[in-house]
Amino acid sequence: MTLEIALSTVGCALLCYTLGRYNRTLTLQRWHFVLNAPERQAIDSLRERMQLDSALARQAFESAGHARESERHPDALTILRVALSILEDAGADRLTRLRAMSVYSRMVRAIKPLPPPSARPFRGAELRAAASVAGLLHRLLVGAEERFRLWLLVLGLGVRIVLRGGRQSTEAAARAPQRPRPWEAFARGMDDFDALDSSHLTAFEALVVSLSAVDRGDRLRLWEQIAGGSR
Amino acid sequence: MTDLQLVVAHAAKVALLALIAGIVWRGRARLCWSFALYALAILLGNILVSLWPSRFLTPSFWMLKQGVYDILKMAIALELAFRAFAAFPGAARTARAVVLALLTLSTLVLAFATPVSSFRTLWDWQPSVATAALWLLAATALMVVWYQVPVHEFQRAIMLGLAPYLLVFVVLLGLLRQYGWGSRVPVATAEALAYLTLVVFWSWAAWRVDMAPAPPGRSA
Repeated sequence: MTLEIALSTVGCALLCYTLGRYNRTLTLQRWHFVLNAPERQAIDSLRERMQLDSALARQAFESAGHARESERHPDALTILRVALSILEDAGADRLTRLRAMSVYSRMVRAIKPLPPPSARPFRGAELRAAASVAGLLHRLLVGAEERFRLWLLVLGLGVRIVLRGGRQSTEAAARAPQRPRPWEAFARGMDDFDALDSSHLTAFEALVVSLSAVDRGDRLRLWEQIAGGSR
Repeated sequence: MTDLQLVVAHAAKVALLALIAGIVWRGRARLCWSFALYALAILLGNILVSLWPSRFLTPSFWMLKQGVYDILKMAIALELAFRAFAAFPGAARTARAVVLALLTLSTLVLAFATPVSSFRTLWDWQPSVATAALWLLAATALMVVWYQVPVHEFQRAIMLGLAPYLLVFVVLLGLLRQYGWGSRVPVATAEALAYLTLVVFWSWAAWRVDMAPAPPGRSA
């Protein structure tokens, strides 16, 4: 009896906590956006955003480099931290989108296949190792959906690795501003972030193409099924 | 049946009528047919017991109606899970596996670890049934939130109401077991009050107007 009371209490608490926080309007709005989004426009707008993030971070990093060459170490560190904060904001945006992509990928019956993850575009050792392992796992998985979600997992992991590396490099640069190694590591991290962005865009494109394969009639039917019964 | 229990039973009857009217008027039945059947079964049970207690307030009728309610509660949990994931093939695969695992586990527990059901020992087997139904609902809720799957507010209200009631029911059975049949009047009254609260909540949810965004393609 005690076991049943304990199990019921845990089950009830889980249910009330999760469903209590559940926001149907927000969930419907997300699905509404997915089913409404003009495909090409969504891809172009994401590409522009990624280019802007990359340009801003690189500009800040180069300015920090110039300040360092001019022996203005405090200025160099301040600007390097600005470059890091740009990467952190961009990283948070990428992680949010990856989570959303993982959710929406479950809606489509078939997803455009992606090539296996590869270590080639990356420079950081950790990221290269993660991509290599994911490349092996990709061959073991059968479904395109599972492979797609593996991609998303690798991309999320990659963003976290790059951001952690960026923070460590900034701290190391603050401790010893003359040493070139932290700056080189930060530059490698930015290259890796760009490579991750490129893969992110490829995955986003694959998802959008797969979503657009659902024709208008099916979208309306799906919407009816999702949002039906509203009175 | 005490006077208080009779008053609560009649109040529950009114609330159940309001619930059924709301289900019909707002077209909620298609959101969960098992729930509509459950509401009707509860109303019927309530009417029979409160109007003809000498005939229907008996252990054998209690066993019969409780069996029907238990089956319908399980059906509600399964139908809600099925409806939530019907449009999402990827998530539906996981949902099927989780529900199947829970059903298998519950069946094994009920078949091998639970005593034979009888009215005199209802605290021995009823909590297992209630816990199984509660966990089916909890698993559905967890998957709905994990996959960000849209569920209707009324379906959400069914789960949000039924789970706490089942917990109260299990706890009250625990008290009944601990204090024996001498405590059956306060336990039954508490259970009836909890059920009345639940039905009032469901009635409110059934009548509530729900708004949803326009279908795709109709807005920018």
